[in-house]
Amino acid sequence: MRSLILRRPLKQLLAAVALTTSTALALSACAAPSTPSGSAPASAGAKTEITLSMQNPDVKTADPATWAIVQAFEAANPDVTVTVSGEAVAEHLQKLSIAAQSDTLPDIFWVYKANAEEMLQAGKLLDLKPVLDELGITSELPTSTVENFTSDGKIYGVPYQELLTGLWVNKKILTDNGLQMPTTFDDLVNVAKTLHAKGITTISNGANQSAFSVWSFLVWLDRFGYEDKLSGLLDGSISYNNADFQRMYEHIAQLRDAGAFSSNVSTQTYQQAVSQFTNGKAAMLDAGVWASSAIQESKVAPNIGFWQGAQFSDGVGNQNIIMDVASAPLVVSAKSGADPTKLAAIKKFLAFYYGEKGQQILVDNGQPPVTNYQATVDETTQSVLKVALEAASAEGVSSPKSQPDLLVSTQVANAMYDSIYGVIQNQLEPKAALDLVQKALDENR
Amino acid sequence: MNWISSRPKILLMLAPAFILFTLFMTYPVGYSLAFSLTKFQGFGTPRWTGLDNYARILTDQFFWQALVNTAIILVVSLAVLIPGSFALALLLQRKIAGSGALKALVFGPAIIAPILVGLIWVFILDPKIGLLNRALAGLGVPAVTWIGGNTLTPYSVAIVFIWSSIGFAMTIFYAGLQTLPSDVMEASALDGATGWQQVRHVTIPMLRATFAIVTILLITNVFKIFELVYVLTGGGPVHRSETLVSYMYYVTFTNQQYGYGMALAVIITVLGALVSAGYLMLSSRKGDRR
Repeated sequence: MRSLILRRPLKQLLAAVALTTSTALALSACAAPSTPSGSAPASAGAKTEITLSMQNPDVKTADPATWAIVQAFEAANPDVTVTVSGEAVAEHLQKLSIAAQSDTLPDIFWVYKANAEEMLQAGKLLDLKPVLDELGITSELPTSTVENFTSDGKIYGVPYQELLTGLWVNKKILTDNGLQMPTTFDDLVNVAKTLHAKGITTISNGANQSAFSVWSFLVWLDRFGYEDKLSGLLDGSISYNNADFQRMYEHIAQLRDAGAFSSNVSTQTYQQAVSQFTNGKAAMLDAGVWASSAIQESKVAPNIGFWQGAQFSDGVGNQNIIMDVASAPLVVSAKSGADPTKLAAIKKFLAFYYGEKGQQILVDNGQPPVTNYQATVDETTQSVLKVALEAASAEGVSSPKSQPDLLVSTQVANAMYDSIYGVIQNQLEPKAALDLVQKALDENR
Repeated sequence: MNWISSRPKILLMLAPAFILFTLFMTYPVGYSLAFSLTKFQGFGTPRWTGLDNYARILTDQFFWQALVNTAIILVVSLAVLIPGSFALALLLQRKIAGSGALKALVFGPAIIAPILVGLIWVFILDPKIGLLNRALAGLGVPAVTWIGGNTLTPYSVAIVFIWSSIGFAMTIFYAGLQTLPSDVMEASALDGATGWQQVRHVTIPMLRATFAIVTILLITNVFKIFELVYVLTGGGPVHRSETLVSYMYYVTFTNQQYGYGMALAVIITVLGALVSAGYLMLSSRKGDRR
């Protein structure tokens, strides 16, 4: 009897083990890293693979410039395969955090400046200075960009794309309503009041899932002395709740009270804000050059203007500025830099990206060049981008060194966005908005 | 039977479950607890801060706002969903024409992913482009800020949550009703009990365990609401419509405050467990008195 009892379960146990093993093998086969579309599979020993991890879930669609550079690079360098992956920003950073702890960072990746500096201190990033000097890239980048991505004499990053931001303007809406292109803040308030009376949104913004979409107001911070105050804000010797910023936030409230924003700014996403503008339902769009392709394809393209934003009579310092700076950096992991084969492939990629071909591909895909490259812009198919580039290079216009939110930690940057949208949405008084950012600064010290 | 009753074999058979539970439950919980005592921003080295993160929760206005919102959603859901789903189950238990189709219709929302539920309702509740305000405008009613304001959003989230959960709760009640012995119901009818008296004095007491299950599931699901808020308002304006979990997500992944986010996660877990345990204690005392 005992042997019978033993034999049947043993058989079943063995069968179960066999089934489990085969299932596990099948699952592990399914879970093996897949080759991304557009990249040829690496044949053993023939190609060097480098990984590029970006902050977009679908790089091919959401970041066509980077995708096009990768495709062109692979065509020009058949011995190197670039495996592109991407997630939304929060997931991307979470993934990088885990990878940093397990020493499995991608070869090249996008990351916020504040995170990059932490990673550099932890020895996770490659000092790119020797590489960039050797490739002649350092001299091609604007000095402010190199300074911005330098820490302790090490260059830890190269600009992913240019951050040229401002307000896209549908000039037809202005002229149809008897308005001129504004220059000062008072002009803008006047535009907002006139358009609000006719049921037209002046500035299209969307806070839902895109609290960061306050680019034109970040330039306002620079028009109220942010750059000069920054070190004091960070070391605690200057409060964010200062008289200059107080005036700035009160101006946001004035603009809100003039009816400048859409009534559903809280529930509208950034993409819906873009649609509102491209459908001719808003006079201005708070965005940057990355929106040029969408605008180019829309019916408002022939009437487009690009405005650097309002100038203030009670501002601090130079008011004739436009935000034309490097965005967050692309960095290289230290581990990849220690592998001579990988490093050679990475050098090839950087040389291509920051060379003339790579920069022209950026321009062809609606992005300004990040180096001193003089781009060729097609006046017919890229009329919208051309307008923005002209605004950036207009006589007497200068740019801050960096966008304010890129110079602080993520928590402080998010508090800045909340403070601005808080006033726009009439949820925070200017003083409460300023206190919110100050609290975040204090918690980060 | 001797084959499976020996201690080493029992241990061997328990081992897979034990290992999996430790790997996927105990370890992450312990890991979160440890991180909740540090300041860690995702990169670099975590810095030990003791109970600072927990102390910070006390002064975090957005956490308290999220707690109030979660409480509002919980109370509204308990008040509407439990009686509503029970009434639906009673109704569908009757042999009425089309009850099968009705059951499928009521259960339908329960099989839609919460993120899609949010997308559907944002087109209904949006103050500017939403169907509801357009319909109200046709009746001359001024636009109402159903979502995106600082008053109605948690109530709107509760309504959407009820819409998406009522079919599931109804199904549990319906299954419970099928288990009731018909002789008890017949006896009460012979004793002259009306329909309402049968429900109040026979059905509800006999379904006490089912009510407990539905309530506990409801409480835990309310404490897990994330996608609805994420899609409807993104937690805005300025975190006024956050629930506990959506705020925890924001702090941890958007703000990259992993230590503080883990402290919030611990508090949310404890709160969820306390509310559930509190309900179970209350309901068992009530049962004992009977």
